Amino acid sequence: MTVGARCLELLQTAFRFVPWPTEPGLRRLGEPNETSPVLLTGNYDLTVRRLVRALEGHDAWLLVAPCGGINVWCAAAGGHLSTHQVVTVLKTSGVAERVAHRRVILPQLAATGVTALEVFRRCRWNVAFGPVSASDLPEYLATGEKTDAMRRVRFSLSDRLEMAAMWGVPAALIGGALALWLRPAWALPVIGLITAMSIAVFTSYDRLGSARRPVFVLVSSVLALLGTFLAGGEAAALVAAALLPAAIGLLLTFDYAGSTPLEGSGHFEQRKWSIALDLERCEGVYRCWEVCPEACFEKREEDRKVELAHDDRCVRCGACVVQCPKDALFFEDEQGARIEPAVIRKFKLNMLGRRTVDAG
Amino acid sequence: MSSLALMRWLEGSPERYDAGMRALTFGRVACLHAAVARAAVVSAGDSVLEIGCGTGAVTALLLDRGARVTAIDQSPEMLEQARLRLGASASEVEWIEQTAAETDRFATDRFAAVVLSLCLSDMSLEERAFVLAAAVRCLAPGGRLVVADEVRAPAGWRRRLQRVVRIPQAAAGWLLVGSVSRPIPDLQRELSATGLSLAAPRRWLMGTLGLVVAHKGA
Repeated sequence: MTVGARCLELLQTAFRFVPWPTEPGLRRLGEPNETSPVLLTGNYDLTVRRLVRALEGHDAWLLVAPCGGINVWCAAAGGHLSTHQVVTVLKTSGVAERVAHRRVILPQLAATGVTALEVFRRCRWNVAFGPVSASDLPEYLATGEKTDAMRRVRFSLSDRLEMAAMWGVPAALIGGALALWLRPAWALPVIGLITAMSIAVFTSYDRLGSARRPVFVLVSSVLALLGTFLAGGEAAALVAAALLPAAIGLLLTFDYAGSTPLEGSGHFEQRKWSIALDLERCEGVYRCWEVCPEACFEKREEDRKVELAHDDRCVRCGACVVQCPKDALFFEDEQGARIEPAVIRKFKLNMLGRRTVDAG
Repeated sequence: MSSLALMRWLEGSPERYDAGMRALTFGRVACLHAAVARAAVVSAGDSVLEIGCGTGAVTALLLDRGARVTAIDQSPEMLEQARLRLGASASEVEWIEQTAAETDRFATDRFAAVVLSLCLSDMSLEERAFVLAAAVRCLAPGGRLVVADEVRAPAGWRRRLQRVVRIPQAAAGWLLVGSVSRPIPDLQRELSATGLSLAAPRRWLMGTLGLVVAHKGA
Protein backbone atom coordinates (compact mmCIF):
# COMPACT_ATOMS: atom_id res chain seq x y z
CA MET A 1 0.00 0.00 0.00
CA THR A 2 1.32 3.43 -0.91
CA VAL A 3 1.98 6.09 1.71
CA GLY A 4 -0.85 8.19 0.26
CA ALA A 5 -3.33 5.32 0.48
CA ARG A 6 -2.26 4.56 4.05
CA CYS A 7 -2.71 8.22 5.05
CA LEU A 8 -6.15 8.26 3.46
CA GLU A 9 -7.16 5.12 5.36
CA LEU A 10 -5.96 6.64 8.64
CA LEU A 11 -7.96 9.78 7.91
CA GLN A 12 -11.06 7.74 7.05
CA THR A 13 -10.65 5.64 10.19
CA ALA A 14 -10.41 8.73 12.38
CA PHE A 15 -13.51 10.25 10.76
CA ARG A 16 -15.74 7.21 10.47
CA PHE A 17 -18.66 9.36 11.58
CA VAL A 18 -18.58 11.05 8.20
CA PRO A 19 -19.99 9.21 5.17
CA TRP A 20 -17.22 8.52 2.67
CA PRO A 21 -18.90 7.33 -0.54
CA THR A 22 -17.16 5.81 -3.51
CA GLU A 23 -18.62 5.32 -7.00
CA PRO A 24 -21.13 2.44 -7.11
CA GLY A 25 -21.00 -0.08 -9.95
CA LEU A 26 -19.07 -3.09 -11.19
CA ARG A 27 -15.30 -3.46 -10.69
CA ARG A 28 -12.89 -6.12 -11.89
CA LEU A 29 -10.53 -7.68 -9.38
CA GLY A 30 -7.72 -9.40 -11.26
CA GLU A 31 -8.81 -11.03 -14.52
CA PRO A 32 -12.33 -12.31 -13.88
CA ASN A 33 -14.26 -14.38 -16.42
CA GLU A 34 -17.81 -15.67 -16.71
CA THR A 35 -17.34 -18.27 -13.96
CA SER A 36 -15.63 -15.95 -11.48
CA PRO A 37 -17.40 -15.21 -8.19
CA VAL A 38 -19.47 -12.06 -7.85
CA LEU A 39 -19.03 -10.22 -4.56
CA LEU A 40 -21.06 -7.27 -3.34
CA THR A 41 -20.40 -4.61 -0.74
CA GLY A 42 -21.57 -1.09 0.12
CA ASN A 43 -20.03 2.07 -1.33
CA TYR A 44 -18.10 3.02 1.80
CA ASP A 45 -14.66 3.81 0.45
CA LEU A 46 -12.75 2.35 3.40
CA THR A 47 -14.60 -0.98 3.13
CA VAL A 48 -14.02 -1.19 -0.63
CA ARG A 49 -10.30 -0.47 -0.21
CA ARG A 50 -9.91 -3.15 2.45
CA LEU A 51 -11.88 -5.68 0.46
CA VAL A 52 -9.83 -5.05 -2.69
CA ARG A 53 -6.64 -5.45 -0.66
CA ALA A 54 -7.87 -8.68 0.94
CA LEU A 55 -8.55 -10.13 -2.51
CA GLU A 56 -5.24 -9.19 -4.11
CA GLY A 57 -4.22 -12.01 -6.43
CA HIS A 58 -7.80 -13.31 -6.83
CA ASP A 59 -10.03 -13.01 -9.89
CA ALA A 60 -13.53 -11.81 -9.05
CA TRP A 61 -16.24 -9.32 -9.92
CA LEU A 62 -16.94 -6.73 -7.26
CA LEU A 63 -20.29 -4.97 -7.17
CA VAL A 64 -20.32 -1.76 -5.16
CA ALA A 65 -23.89 -0.98 -4.12
CA PRO A 66 -25.03 2.54 -3.21
CA CYS A 67 -25.49 2.72 0.57
CA GLY A 68 -24.84 6.34 1.41
CA GLY A 69 -21.10 5.86 1.90
CA ILE A 70 -21.36 4.29 5.35
CA ASN A 71 -20.27 0.90 6.66
CA VAL A 72 -22.17 -2.28 5.78
CA TRP A 73 -23.66 -3.11 9.20
CA CYS A 74 -24.92 0.40 9.95
CA ALA A 75 -26.20 0.79 6.38
CA ALA A 76 -28.05 -2.53 6.54
CA ALA A 77 -29.58 -1.80 9.95
CA GLY A 78 -30.64 1.71 8.92
CA GLY A 79 -32.19 0.75 5.57
CA HIS A 80 -29.41 2.20 3.40
CA LEU A 81 -28.18 -1.20 2.20
CA SER A 82 -31.38 -3.09 1.62
CA THR A 83 -32.90 -5.39 -0.97
CA HIS A 84 -33.54 -2.27 -3.10
CA GLN A 85 -29.90 -1.26 -3.40
CA VAL A 86 -28.81 -4.82 -4.15
CA VAL A 87 -31.47 -5.25 -6.84
CA THR A 88 -30.51 -1.87 -8.31
CA VAL A 89 -26.84 -2.65 -8.71
CA LEU A 90 -27.51 -6.19 -9.97
CA LYS A 91 -29.83 -4.83 -12.65
CA THR A 92 -27.99 -1.69 -13.73
CA SER A 93 -24.30 -2.65 -13.50
CA GLY A 94 -24.33 -5.05 -16.44
CA VAL A 95 -22.92 -7.91 -14.32
CA ALA A 96 -25.59 -10.30 -15.65
CA GLU A 97 -24.00 -10.02 -19.10
CA ARG A 98 -20.51 -10.75 -17.72
CA VAL A 99 -21.13 -14.00 -15.85
CA ALA A 100 -22.79 -17.30 -16.65
CA HIS A 101 -24.10 -17.87 -13.10
CA ARG A 102 -26.51 -16.01 -10.83
CA ARG A 103 -24.88 -16.19 -7.42
CA VAL A 104 -23.80 -13.10 -5.52
CA ILE A 105 -21.87 -13.17 -2.25
CA LEU A 106 -22.78 -10.48 0.26
CA PRO A 107 -21.03 -9.65 3.54
CA GLN A 108 -22.81 -11.49 6.33
CA LEU A 109 -23.53 -8.27 8.19
CA ALA A 110 -25.72 -7.15 5.27
CA ALA A 111 -28.21 -9.85 6.33
CA THR A 112 -29.88 -7.36 8.66
CA GLY A 113 -31.07 -5.29 5.71
CA VAL A 114 -31.07 -7.45 2.57
CA THR A 115 -33.75 -10.14 2.26
CA ALA A 116 -32.19 -12.95 0.21
CA LEU A 117 -35.50 -14.44 -0.90
CA GLU A 118 -36.77 -11.06 -2.05
CA VAL A 119 -33.65 -10.43 -4.15
CA PHE A 120 -34.25 -13.75 -5.92
CA ARG A 121 -37.93 -12.98 -6.46
CA ARG A 122 -37.19 -9.59 -7.98
CA CYS A 123 -34.16 -10.26 -10.17
CA ARG A 124 -33.43 -14.02 -10.04
CA TRP A 125 -30.07 -13.78 -8.32
CA ASN A 126 -29.20 -16.16 -5.49
CA VAL A 127 -27.73 -14.45 -2.43
CA ALA A 128 -25.08 -16.18 -0.33
CA PHE A 129 -23.92 -14.50 2.87
CA GLY A 130 -20.13 -14.74 3.04
CA PRO A 131 -17.88 -14.11 6.03
CA VAL A 132 -18.28 -11.17 8.40
CA SER A 133 -14.76 -9.97 7.74
CA ALA A 134 -13.23 -9.29 4.31
CA SER A 135 -9.96 -10.81 5.52
CA ASP A 136 -11.65 -14.25 5.58
CA LEU A 137 -12.79 -13.99 1.95
CA PRO A 138 -9.76 -15.71 0.31
CA GLU A 139 -10.24 -18.82 2.46
CA TYR A 140 -14.01 -18.75 1.97
CA LEU A 141 -13.63 -18.51 -1.81
CA ALA A 142 -11.01 -21.27 -1.87
CA THR A 143 -12.94 -23.76 0.27
CA GLY A 144 -16.55 -22.67 -0.32
CA GLU A 145 -17.05 -23.21 3.41
CA LYS A 146 -17.92 -20.64 6.04
CA THR A 147 -16.37 -21.72 9.31
CA ASP A 148 -17.85 -20.88 12.72
CA ALA A 149 -15.11 -18.30 13.25
CA MET A 150 -16.00 -16.58 9.94
CA ARG A 151 -19.59 -16.23 11.15
CA ARG A 152 -18.75 -14.49 14.42
CA VAL A 153 -18.28 -10.78 14.66
CA ARG A 154 -15.04 -9.95 16.42
CA PHE A 155 -14.02 -6.99 18.52
CA SER A 156 -10.27 -7.39 18.42
CA LEU A 157 -7.72 -4.93 19.74
CA SER A 158 -7.41 -3.29 16.32
CA ASP A 159 -11.23 -2.97 16.10
CA ARG A 160 -11.23 -1.41 19.55
CA LEU A 161 -8.50 1.04 18.61
CA GLU A 162 -10.46 2.00 15.49
CA MET A 163 -13.52 2.76 17.61
CA ALA A 164 -11.33 4.71 20.05
CA ALA A 165 -9.98 6.72 17.11
CA MET A 166 -13.48 7.31 15.72
CA TRP A 167 -14.65 8.84 18.99
CA GLY A 168 -11.33 10.17 20.25
CA VAL A 169 -9.88 12.02 17.27
CA PRO A 170 -12.83 14.36 16.54
CA ALA A 171 -13.33 14.92 20.31
CA ALA A 172 -9.60 15.63 20.76
CA LEU A 173 -9.61 18.09 17.87
CA ILE A 174 -12.62 19.95 19.25
CA GLY A 175 -11.22 19.89 22.79
CA GLY A 176 -7.77 20.93 21.58
CA ALA A 177 -9.18 23.79 19.52
CA LEU A 178 -11.23 25.05 22.47
CA ALA A 179 -8.19 24.85 24.74
CA LEU A 180 -6.07 26.66 22.15
CA TRP A 181 -8.59 29.46 22.16
CA LEU A 182 -9.12 29.69 25.92
CA ARG A 183 -5.80 28.53 27.41
CA PRO A 184 -3.21 27.61 24.76
CA ALA A 185 -0.84 25.86 27.19
CA TRP A 186 -3.53 23.26 27.90
CA ALA A 187 -4.12 22.29 24.26
CA LEU A 188 -1.66 19.38 24.09
CA PRO A 189 -2.55 17.95 27.53
CA VAL A 190 -6.26 18.11 26.63
CA ILE A 191 -5.64 16.25 23.36
CA GLY A 192 -3.58 13.69 25.26
CA LEU A 193 -6.24 13.26 27.95
CA ILE A 194 -9.07 12.74 25.46
CA THR A 195 -7.00 10.26 23.44
CA ALA A 196 -6.09 8.32 26.58
CA MET A 197 -9.72 8.31 27.71
CA SER A 198 -10.97 6.94 24.37
CA ILE A 199 -8.40 4.16 24.33
CA ALA A 200 -9.05 3.28 27.98
CA VAL A 201 -12.81 3.10 27.48
CA PHE A 202 -12.86 1.02 24.31
CA THR A 203 -10.20 -1.41 25.44
CA SER A 204 -11.70 -2.03 28.86
CA TYR A 205 -15.37 -1.26 29.34
CA ASP A 206 -16.78 -4.70 28.51
CA ARG A 207 -13.92 -6.50 30.25
CA LEU A 208 -14.59 -4.80 33.55
CA GLY A 209 -17.67 -5.99 35.36
CA SER A 210 -19.71 -3.22 36.96
CA ALA A 211 -18.24 -4.14 40.37
CA ARG A 212 -14.67 -3.77 39.10
CA ARG A 213 -15.21 -0.42 37.37
CA PRO A 214 -14.98 1.72 40.57
CA VAL A 215 -11.73 -0.11 41.47
CA PHE A 216 -10.37 0.59 37.99
CA VAL A 217 -11.29 4.27 38.33
CA LEU A 218 -9.80 4.49 41.83
CA VAL A 219 -6.51 2.90 40.78
CA SER A 220 -6.35 5.17 37.70
CA SER A 221 -6.95 8.20 39.94
CA VAL A 222 -4.19 7.28 42.35
CA LEU A 223 -1.73 6.55 39.53
CA ALA A 224 -2.59 9.77 37.65
CA LEU A 225 -2.28 11.88 40.78
CA LEU A 226 0.94 10.18 41.85
CA GLY A 227 2.47 10.56 38.38
CA THR A 228 1.47 14.21 38.18
CA PHE A 229 2.77 14.93 41.70
CA LEU A 230 6.10 13.20 41.07
CA ALA A 231 6.46 15.11 37.83
CA GLY A 232 6.19 18.33 39.84
CA GLY A 233 2.65 19.18 38.78
CA GLU A 234 0.97 22.16 40.40
CA ALA A 235 -2.53 22.33 41.84
CA ALA A 236 -4.22 22.84 38.45
CA ALA A 237 -2.39 19.84 36.96
CA LEU A 238 -3.40 17.70 39.96
CA VAL A 239 -7.05 18.67 39.46
CA ALA A 240 -6.79 17.77 35.76
CA ALA A 241 -5.18 14.45 36.62
CA ALA A 242 -8.03 13.66 39.01
CA LEU A 243 -10.61 14.60 36.40
CA LEU A 244 -9.25 12.12 33.85
CA PRO A 245 -10.17 8.94 35.78
CA ALA A 246 -13.48 10.51 36.81
CA ALA A 247 -14.31 11.11 33.16
CA ILE A 248 -13.21 7.58 32.23
CA GLY A 249 -15.43 6.24 35.01
CA LEU A 250 -18.38 8.20 33.62
CA LEU A 251 -17.72 7.00 30.07
CA LEU A 252 -17.50 3.39 31.26
CA THR A 253 -21.12 3.58 32.38
CA PHE A 254 -22.40 4.75 28.96
CA ASP A 255 -24.04 2.42 26.50
CA TYR A 256 -22.23 2.52 23.20
CA ALA A 257 -25.28 1.58 21.20
CA GLY A 258 -24.21 0.69 17.71
CA SER A 259 -20.56 1.64 18.24
CA THR A 260 -19.47 -1.84 19.20
CA PRO A 261 -20.67 -5.31 18.24
CA LEU A 262 -21.09 -6.05 21.94
CA GLU A 263 -24.32 -4.21 22.56
CA GLY A 264 -27.55 -3.89 20.65
CA SER A 265 -29.12 -0.59 19.76
CA GLY A 266 -30.28 1.29 22.82
CA HIS A 267 -33.91 1.57 21.71
CA PHE A 268 -34.33 -2.19 21.98
CA GLU A 269 -33.13 -1.98 25.55
CA GLN A 270 -35.61 0.84 26.18
CA ARG A 271 -38.49 -1.12 24.73
CA LYS A 272 -37.27 -4.40 26.17
CA TRP A 273 -37.60 -6.23 22.89
CA SER A 274 -36.13 -9.66 22.59
CA ILE A 275 -35.86 -12.33 19.91
CA ALA A 276 -38.41 -15.12 20.14
CA LEU A 277 -38.57 -18.42 18.28
CA ASP A 278 -41.76 -20.16 17.20
CA LEU A 279 -40.67 -23.80 17.09
CA GLU A 280 -43.88 -24.83 15.34
CA ARG A 281 -42.88 -22.78 12.31
CA CYS A 282 -39.21 -23.75 12.34
CA GLU A 283 -38.35 -26.27 9.64
CA GLY A 284 -34.61 -26.39 10.14
CA VAL A 285 -33.55 -24.23 7.18
CA TYR A 286 -30.79 -22.92 9.51
CA ARG A 287 -30.57 -19.53 7.79
CA CYS A 288 -30.66 -17.90 11.26
CA TRP A 289 -27.71 -20.02 12.37
CA GLU A 290 -25.84 -19.02 9.22
CA VAL A 291 -26.30 -15.23 9.57
CA CYS A 292 -26.20 -14.71 13.35
CA PRO A 293 -23.02 -12.72 14.09
CA GLU A 294 -23.04 -13.75 17.76
CA ALA A 295 -23.66 -17.50 17.26
CA CYS A 296 -26.81 -17.45 19.39
CA PHE A 297 -28.34 -20.49 17.66
CA GLU A 298 -27.55 -24.19 17.92
CA LYS A 299 -28.69 -26.70 15.32
CA ARG A 300 -30.91 -29.50 16.60
CA GLU A 301 -30.23 -32.16 13.99
CA GLU A 302 -32.44 -34.78 15.70
CA ASP A 303 -35.70 -32.96 14.84
CA ARG A 304 -34.38 -30.43 12.30
CA LYS A 305 -35.03 -27.37 14.44
CA VAL A 306 -32.89 -24.62 15.87
CA GLU A 307 -32.49 -23.69 19.49
CA LEU A 308 -31.99 -20.15 20.76
CA ALA A 309 -29.26 -21.46 23.02
CA HIS A 310 -27.29 -18.28 23.71
CA ASP A 311 -29.84 -15.46 23.65
CA ASP A 312 -27.78 -13.64 26.28
CA ARG A 313 -25.31 -12.84 23.48
CA CYS A 314 -28.01 -11.47 21.14
CA VAL A 315 -27.40 -7.86 20.00
CA ARG A 316 -30.86 -7.68 18.36
CA CYS A 317 -29.49 -6.94 14.90
CA GLY A 318 -32.54 -8.66 13.43
CA ALA A 319 -30.62 -10.62 10.75
CA CYS A 320 -32.26 -13.93 11.76
CA VAL A 321 -35.74 -12.35 11.70
CA VAL A 322 -35.16 -10.88 8.23
CA GLN A 323 -33.73 -14.07 6.69
CA CYS A 324 -35.98 -16.81 8.13
CA PRO A 325 -38.05 -18.03 5.17
CA LYS A 326 -40.64 -19.52 7.54
CA ASP A 327 -41.17 -16.40 9.70
CA ALA A 328 -40.32 -18.50 12.73
CA LEU A 329 -38.34 -15.70 14.39
CA PHE A 330 -39.65 -12.32 15.50
CA PHE A 331 -39.16 -9.61 18.10
CA GLU A 332 -41.32 -9.69 21.18
CA ASP A 333 -41.90 -6.84 23.62
CA GLU A 334 -42.22 -6.96 27.38
CA GLN A 335 -45.95 -7.65 27.23
CA GLY A 336 -45.35 -10.52 24.83
CA ALA A 337 -46.68 -8.66 21.76
CA ARG A 338 -45.11 -9.71 18.46
CA ILE A 339 -43.35 -7.36 16.07
CA GLU A 340 -43.80 -9.29 12.87
CA PRO A 341 -40.86 -10.05 10.53
CA ALA A 342 -42.58 -8.12 7.70
CA VAL A 343 -42.30 -4.90 9.75
CA ILE A 344 -38.59 -5.44 10.36
CA ARG A 345 -37.99 -6.30 6.69
CA LYS A 346 -39.78 -3.12 5.65
CA PHE A 347 -38.52 -0.55 8.15
CA LYS A 348 -35.34 -2.34 9.33
CA LEU A 349 -34.39 -1.08 12.76
CA ASN A 350 -35.56 2.48 12.01
CA MET A 351 -38.07 2.68 14.79
CA LEU A 352 -36.79 5.42 16.99
CA GLY A 353 -38.90 8.20 15.56
CA ARG A 354 -42.61 8.81 15.74
CA ARG A 355 -43.49 5.66 13.80
CA THR A 356 -45.19 2.94 15.78
CA VAL A 357 -44.47 -0.72 15.27
CA ASP A 358 -47.97 -1.14 13.83
CA ALA A 359 -46.91 0.80 10.74
CA GLY A 360 -46.32 -2.33 8.72
CA MET B 1 -26.53 8.46 24.37
CA SER B 2 -24.95 10.68 21.74
CA SER B 3 -25.31 7.99 19.09
CA LEU B 4 -28.98 7.61 19.95
CA ALA B 5 -29.55 11.32 19.52
CA LEU B 6 -27.84 11.24 16.13
CA MET B 7 -29.86 8.19 15.05
CA ARG B 8 -33.10 9.88 16.09
CA TRP B 9 -32.19 12.96 14.07
CA LEU B 10 -31.25 11.00 10.94
CA GLU B 11 -34.24 8.70 11.18
CA GLY B 12 -36.59 11.65 11.32
CA SER B 13 -35.28 12.89 7.98
CA PRO B 14 -38.35 11.88 5.90
CA GLU B 15 -40.49 14.06 8.18
CA ARG B 16 -38.08 16.95 7.83
CA TYR B 17 -37.47 16.40 4.10
CA ASP B 18 -39.79 19.11 2.77
CA ALA B 19 -38.65 21.79 5.20
CA GLY B 20 -35.05 20.75 4.54
CA MET B 21 -35.44 21.03 0.76
CA ARG B 22 -37.10 24.45 1.10
CA ALA B 23 -34.18 25.62 3.23
CA LEU B 24 -31.53 24.17 0.92
CA THR B 25 -33.10 25.76 -2.19
CA PHE B 26 -34.18 29.04 -0.55
CA GLY B 27 -37.78 28.18 -1.37
CA ARG B 28 -37.18 27.72 -5.11
CA VAL B 29 -38.08 24.03 -4.94
CA ALA B 30 -41.77 25.04 -4.97
CA CYS B 31 -41.36 26.72 -8.41
CA LEU B 32 -39.62 23.60 -9.67
CA HIS B 33 -42.41 21.30 -8.44
CA ALA B 34 -45.12 23.48 -10.01
CA ALA B 35 -43.28 23.59 -13.35
CA VAL B 36 -42.83 19.80 -13.30
CA ALA B 37 -46.56 19.23 -12.77
CA ARG B 38 -47.50 21.70 -15.53
CA ALA B 39 -45.12 20.04 -17.99
CA ALA B 40 -46.24 16.50 -17.12
CA VAL B 41 -50.02 16.90 -17.20
CA VAL B 42 -51.36 18.34 -20.44
CA SER B 43 -54.95 17.23 -19.98
CA ALA B 44 -56.97 15.70 -17.15
CA GLY B 45 -56.87 11.93 -17.18
CA ASP B 46 -53.23 11.71 -18.35
CA SER B 47 -51.52 8.64 -16.99
CA VAL B 48 -48.31 9.69 -15.21
CA LEU B 49 -45.52 7.60 -13.70
CA GLU B 50 -43.60 9.42 -10.98
CA ILE B 51 -40.24 7.80 -10.26
CA GLY B 52 -38.93 8.64 -6.77
CA CYS B 53 -42.03 10.37 -5.43
CA GLY B 54 -40.39 11.07 -2.05
CA THR B 55 -42.80 12.81 0.31
CA GLY B 56 -45.37 13.36 -2.45
CA ALA B 57 -44.96 17.09 -3.10
CA VAL B 58 -45.13 16.62 -6.89
CA THR B 59 -47.63 13.75 -6.59
CA ALA B 60 -50.16 16.11 -4.97
CA LEU B 61 -49.74 18.67 -7.78
CA LEU B 62 -50.09 16.00 -10.48
CA LEU B 63 -53.29 14.83 -8.81
CA ASP B 64 -54.60 18.42 -8.61
CA ARG B 65 -54.20 18.68 -12.38
CA GLY B 66 -56.32 15.59 -12.88
CA ALA B 67 -53.62 13.02 -13.65
CA ARG B 68 -53.90 9.31 -12.92
CA VAL B 69 -50.69 8.79 -10.97
CA THR B 70 -48.50 5.76 -10.36
CA ALA B 71 -45.89 6.79 -7.77
CA ILE B 72 -42.85 4.67 -6.95
CA ASP B 73 -40.20 5.11 -4.28
CA GLN B 74 -37.76 2.69 -2.69
CA SER B 75 -38.15 4.19 0.76
CA PRO B 76 -41.12 2.94 2.82
CA GLU B 77 -40.62 5.92 5.14
CA MET B 78 -40.96 8.38 2.25
CA LEU B 79 -44.07 6.61 0.94
CA GLU B 80 -45.53 6.80 4.42
CA GLN B 81 -45.00 10.58 4.44
CA ALA B 82 -46.45 10.91 0.94
CA ARG B 83 -49.64 9.08 1.95
CA LEU B 84 -49.97 11.29 5.02
CA ARG B 85 -49.54 14.43 2.89
CA LEU B 86 -52.26 13.45 0.43
CA GLY B 87 -54.72 12.40 3.12
CA ALA B 88 -58.02 11.23 1.61
CA SER B 89 -56.66 11.65 -1.96
CA ALA B 90 -53.92 9.09 -1.26
CA SER B 91 -56.21 6.26 -2.34
CA GLU B 92 -56.38 7.75 -5.86
CA VAL B 93 -52.66 7.11 -6.35
CA GLU B 94 -51.11 3.72 -7.09
CA TRP B 95 -48.19 3.63 -4.62
CA ILE B 96 -45.45 1.07 -5.24
CA GLU B 97 -42.40 0.46 -3.09
CA GLN B 98 -39.74 -0.39 -5.63
CA THR B 99 -36.48 0.91 -7.05
CA ALA B 100 -36.15 3.18 -10.06
CA ALA B 101 -34.19 0.36 -11.71
CA GLU B 102 -37.38 -1.73 -11.71
CA THR B 103 -39.14 0.75 -14.00
CA ASP B 104 -38.60 -1.90 -16.71
CA ARG B 105 -41.45 -3.90 -15.17
CA PHE B 106 -44.08 -1.51 -16.57
CA ALA B 107 -45.68 -2.29 -19.92
CA THR B 108 -44.28 -0.64 -23.05
CA ASP B 109 -46.02 2.63 -24.11
CA ARG B 110 -48.10 2.71 -20.90
CA PHE B 111 -47.72 6.31 -19.66
CA ALA B 112 -48.44 9.74 -21.16
CA ALA B 113 -45.69 11.19 -18.99
CA VAL B 114 -42.84 9.98 -16.80
CA VAL B 115 -41.58 12.31 -14.09
CA LEU B 116 -38.21 12.22 -12.33
CA SER B 117 -38.06 15.07 -9.85
CA LEU B 118 -34.92 15.45 -7.73
CA CYS B 119 -34.06 11.78 -7.79
CA LEU B 120 -31.80 11.27 -10.83
CA SER B 121 -28.86 13.02 -9.13
CA ASP B 122 -28.94 10.41 -6.34
CA MET B 123 -28.08 7.70 -8.88
CA SER B 124 -24.81 6.54 -10.39
CA LEU B 125 -24.15 7.29 -14.06
CA GLU B 126 -24.95 3.76 -15.21
CA GLU B 127 -28.09 3.62 -13.07
CA ARG B 128 -29.26 6.89 -14.64
CA ALA B 129 -28.73 5.49 -18.15
CA PHE B 130 -30.63 2.31 -17.26
CA VAL B 131 -33.53 4.16 -15.63
CA LEU B 132 -33.86 6.72 -18.43
CA ALA B 133 -33.92 3.94 -21.04
CA ALA B 134 -36.60 2.09 -19.06
CA ALA B 135 -38.60 5.31 -18.64
CA VAL B 136 -38.53 5.99 -22.38
CA ARG B 137 -39.67 2.44 -23.10
CA CYS B 138 -42.80 2.73 -20.94
CA LEU B 139 -43.63 6.17 -22.37
CA ALA B 140 -46.44 6.23 -24.96
CA PRO B 141 -45.70 7.69 -28.43
CA GLY B 142 -45.98 11.48 -28.15
CA GLY B 143 -45.43 11.20 -24.37
CA ARG B 144 -43.28 13.46 -22.20
CA LEU B 145 -40.26 12.68 -20.05
CA VAL B 146 -40.01 15.42 -17.41
CA VAL B 147 -36.74 15.59 -15.51
CA ALA B 148 -35.97 18.16 -12.81
CA ASP B 149 -32.84 18.05 -10.72
CA GLU B 150 -29.78 19.67 -9.27
CA VAL B 151 -27.51 20.43 -12.20
CA ARG B 152 -24.10 21.98 -12.79
CA ALA B 153 -24.43 25.76 -12.92
CA PRO B 154 -23.58 27.57 -16.19
CA ALA B 155 -19.87 28.30 -16.67
CA GLY B 156 -18.54 31.45 -15.02
CA TRP B 157 -19.03 32.93 -11.58
CA ARG B 158 -22.12 30.82 -10.85
CA ARG B 159 -20.23 27.56 -11.33
CA ARG B 160 -17.35 28.84 -9.22
CA LEU B 161 -19.81 29.79 -6.49
CA GLN B 162 -21.44 26.34 -6.73
CA ARG B 163 -18.02 24.74 -6.17
CA VAL B 164 -17.26 26.98 -3.20
CA VAL B 165 -20.51 26.17 -1.39
CA ARG B 166 -20.34 22.47 -2.26
CA ILE B 167 -18.95 21.14 1.04
CA PRO B 168 -21.12 23.22 3.43
CA GLN B 169 -24.12 22.50 1.20
CA ALA B 170 -23.41 18.75 1.31
CA ALA B 171 -23.08 18.86 5.10
CA ALA B 172 -26.34 20.81 5.41
CA GLY B 173 -28.05 18.36 3.04
CA TRP B 174 -26.89 15.36 5.07
CA LEU B 175 -28.10 16.89 8.32
CA LEU B 176 -31.38 18.30 6.99
CA VAL B 177 -32.64 15.67 4.57
CA GLY B 178 -30.33 12.71 5.30
CA SER B 179 -28.70 12.53 1.88
CA VAL B 180 -25.97 14.14 -0.14
CA SER B 181 -26.65 14.66 -3.83
CA ARG B 182 -24.24 15.62 -6.57
CA PRO B 183 -25.23 17.99 -9.36
CA ILE B 184 -25.68 16.27 -12.72
CA PRO B 185 -22.84 17.54 -14.95
CA ASP B 186 -24.74 17.53 -18.26
CA LEU B 187 -28.40 16.58 -17.94
CA GLN B 188 -29.24 17.49 -21.52
CA ARG B 189 -26.53 15.25 -22.94
CA GLU B 190 -27.73 12.30 -20.86
CA LEU B 191 -31.30 12.91 -22.02
CA SER B 192 -30.20 13.31 -25.65
CA ALA B 193 -28.73 9.80 -25.45
CA THR B 194 -32.26 8.43 -24.99
CA GLY B 195 -33.19 9.52 -28.55
CA LEU B 196 -36.00 11.85 -27.42
CA SER B 197 -36.35 15.40 -28.74
CA LEU B 198 -35.56 17.96 -26.06
CA ALA B 199 -37.29 21.26 -25.37
CA ALA B 200 -35.29 24.26 -24.13
CA PRO B 201 -34.33 23.75 -20.47
CA ARG B 202 -35.47 26.03 -17.64
CA ARG B 203 -33.30 26.91 -14.66
CA TRP B 204 -33.73 28.31 -11.15
CA LEU B 205 -31.48 29.23 -8.22
CA MET B 206 -28.58 30.67 -10.19
CA GLY B 207 -28.88 27.87 -12.71
CA THR B 208 -28.33 25.06 -10.20
CA LEU B 209 -31.87 23.63 -10.47
CA GLY B 210 -32.79 22.53 -13.98
CA LEU B 211 -35.91 21.26 -15.74
CA VAL B 212 -35.81 19.48 -19.09
CA VAL B 213 -38.83 18.16 -20.98
CA ALA B 214 -38.20 15.55 -23.68
CA HIS B 215 -40.78 14.22 -26.14
CA LYS B 216 -41.11 10.74 -27.60
CA GLY B 217 -41.91 10.71 -31.32
CA ALA B 218 -45.50 9.87 -32.20
